[in-house]
Amino acid sequence: MYRKDLIWLYASGIVVLLVTGFLIWSFLEPEWSEYQTDFRDLVMEKFGPQRATQVSGGLKQIWVRELGTVDRCVTCHQGIEWIGLDNAPNPFKTHTGGILQKHPVAQFGCTPCHGGQGYATDTETAHGFVEFWDEPLLGKRLSELYLVRTRSAMLQMNCNACHRYERQTKGADFINRAKDLVQEKGCRACHTINGRGGVIGPDLTEVGGKSPEQYDYSRISGVQTAFAWHVAHFQDPKSLVPETVMPNFNFSSSDAQALSLLVLSWKKRQLPTRYVPGVQLADRPTPEEAEKERQMMTGEGAFFVRKGCFICHSISTLGIESAAKIGPDLAVAVTDVQSRFGRTLEDFLNNPTGTMSVVLSTQIQLTADERKEALDKLKIAYQKTLEQKPKK
Amino acid sequence: METKHSAWEKIRWTWQPASEREAGDSVVRNFLLHWFPAKVTRASLSWNYSFWLGTVSAILFTILTITGVVLMFLYVPSVERAYLSIKDLEYAVTFGWFIRGLHRISAHLMVAVVFLHMIRVFLTAAYRNTLAAGQNRPLNWIVGVLLLLATLLLSFTGYLLPWDQLAYWAITVGTNIASAAPVAGEPIRFLLLGGHTIDQSALIRFYVLHCFFLPLVVLLLFSYHMWRVRKDGGLACVDHLAISQKAVSTAPIRSKTYSLLGITSGSSVHVETALVAEDELTVQSSPNLTRRLLMVAMVTVAAAALLAFLVPAPLEEPANASVTPNPAKAPWYFLWLQELVTDTTFRIGGITINGALVGGVLLPALLVLWLVILPYVDSSPISTVGTWWAAERRKHSLIFLIVILAILVLTVVGTFMRGPYWNFYWPWETWPEMPRRF
Repeated sequence: MYRKDLIWLYASGIVVLLVTGFLIWSFLEPEWSEYQTDFRDLVMEKFGPQRATQVSGGLKQIWVRELGTVDRCVTCHQGIEWIGLDNAPNPFKTHTGGILQKHPVAQFGCTPCHGGQGYATDTETAHGFVEFWDEPLLGKRLSELYLVRTRSAMLQMNCNACHRYERQTKGADFINRAKDLVQEKGCRACHTINGRGGVIGPDLTEVGGKSPEQYDYSRISGVQTAFAWHVAHFQDPKSLVPETVMPNFNFSSSDAQALSLLVLSWKKRQLPTRYVPGVQLADRPTPEEAEKERQMMTGEGAFFVRKGCFICHSISTLGIESAAKIGPDLAVAVTDVQSRFGRTLEDFLNNPTGTMSVVLSTQIQLTADERKEALDKLKIAYQKTLEQKPKK
Repeated sequence: METKHSAWEKIRWTWQPASEREAGDSVVRNFLLHWFPAKVTRASLSWNYSFWLGTVSAILFTILTITGVVLMFLYVPSVERAYLSIKDLEYAVTFGWFIRGLHRISAHLMVAVVFLHMIRVFLTAAYRNTLAAGQNRPLNWIVGVLLLLATLLLSFTGYLLPWDQLAYWAITVGTNIASAAPVAGEPIRFLLLGGHTIDQSALIRFYVLHCFFLPLVVLLLFSYHMWRVRKDGGLACVDHLAISQKAVSTAPIRSKTYSLLGITSGSSVHVETALVAEDELTVQSSPNLTRRLLMVAMVTVAAAALLAFLVPAPLEEPANASVTPNPAKAPWYFLWLQELVTDTTFRIGGITINGALVGGVLLPALLVLWLVILPYVDSSPISTVGTWWAAERRKHSLIFLIVILAILVLTVVGTFMRGPYWNFYWPWETWPEMPRRF
């Protein structure tokens, strides 16, 4: 009875040992460690042992908190920010072009542009060609699958995640072409895009986020993907949706692909404003305030508006009214300065004291000519004050 | 005590007590061993009687507790971070994927093993009292049913935590079925989710239930369950031994006090069960029971570890309330319910039968009720207690097995034969491939 028990005990002990052994082995020898060794060898060969010692090992990641992305791509793609590895084999190549200057890796990560699964640490899952990951690497493999001729074309879809409100984006020719087509063919006649357009067709503002299962593939041959559906639909809408009123624009396959990438880029995304060109958060003046400022800019006191004096001071006789009125009305500055400081206005402007010394040395720095202009204008303002008084 | 000198002997580290007294002392003096009797029957230790299923589920619970505590250090129960922290576990945390895999597979195994344990107890009529005083096995059976329900709830609450599509929609299906209960259904769903939709409030509720409340409930019920097993005179097969021996044996009953420090009132369980011929039928718990316990623990750990290693834990896309995966399925142990819901939704004339109510609420509620009253209505002779396939209990066993079989069949159909749109597919038919973005 107990001899048998011992056999089980030892057998299960061996299983536990084997599993433990494998765990430790997989921890010590992950797939990426080979790439890191190869990279160090490459650096050694190209730049010498001194540089090779600078190559650090271990799991690496770029965490962009604002975009909510964690990209571990750099664990294997160690050379992307190195200079002089342009001709190195992948994954060690220097990043192409100068695009990283405007899109620093630390601020953008990798996957927001390239797609793929940044969390993952082995090639196949990281490149995203796996189940339950809908954003594969937008590169060679996909371009070849869909016979897209331009290598970077698929990638441009992700450029448009941030650049969607720009009419044209430098370097994104494929998407630019699609945007031209949207204008040229008048898509907005029927479709609302970014809040503007007709209601005959569906609103396309967030169409890129539509689930692949929500398309009808019954009339499509080949791969059943949202991208393939859009390409086929652009080329012949009626063949997929017989009851549609969308005209057939006879798009070339390249144009249909460009348009498909454009519409798929129109996804609901939570992006910090500073990532979206053409979008600004601003505290805009009301129309009345703007109109008043415009009027003051054309009047006699325009100088004081231009230089920003009007933020604190009104100059009532020149038609300048400060919203804040922090300082005194400058219409009487000529006598007011005299009575307050016992100095002439000219003297005070040249050697201000108190608050004005701070203001005129920091926010409003006047040249000698400008000081003269200010003095002349304030004298005129005072003159006008005197003229107005007797009338009362 | 014979001293073992060779290195091999030392490595094997087997402890053989030199006398009965030494063996008995080891149980009384050792904190970890104190809950065992000093002596156990050989029958209780056998594989073929209990299959050690209760022990296995306790060991699985221990694995779950240990791995669970580790996971608690790494998991963030927030809608924004939960999914990310699981991805980190999978790819960046050292051994993270294994700890998560082991936790998940142990949870599934525990559901299965607790279920099998219940079947074993029923089929051996081990939920019934015999002659010994102070027995209350029906109560312990009810505690067992509660433990099964708690196990299911533990697994169900853990299902939501990864916050992926699988989690989100399994909980959607599960809670929607529950909400079909008349009157209480909707309020219960609201209370459980902390709102009408599955969001942050649902996640934190499930998290607290999963990591604190339900484990505590299981621990308390389990302690009572074990205490009752001792109070009831051990496994029911011991009763069977006593009953069958009583007819032939005339030896006087030997009185022994193996009770725990003499605290329990009355005399000890061994006296009450009046086991005759003790010397032939029993062995010292230490090391016979402890060795076997260690062995069962080792096999369980090995099996769970191997499975965790071979069956990777899935992690689907992040939870998305606006995209329903196709098909959306409840956790596998509730798929028989989901299947029942489908099968009980139909129209007779102008009346539509509400499957969620009939199949999802009424039938399972009746089943639990049936389980609870079973020991009180089972009137088969007590000689059947503690035996497998007793001839006098054939009818009971048959009915019970038919119910179990029905549940299993429905589970298999729900798991393997329901494809996209919940359409039925035979195992040899391939499911249509679901479209992707690219």
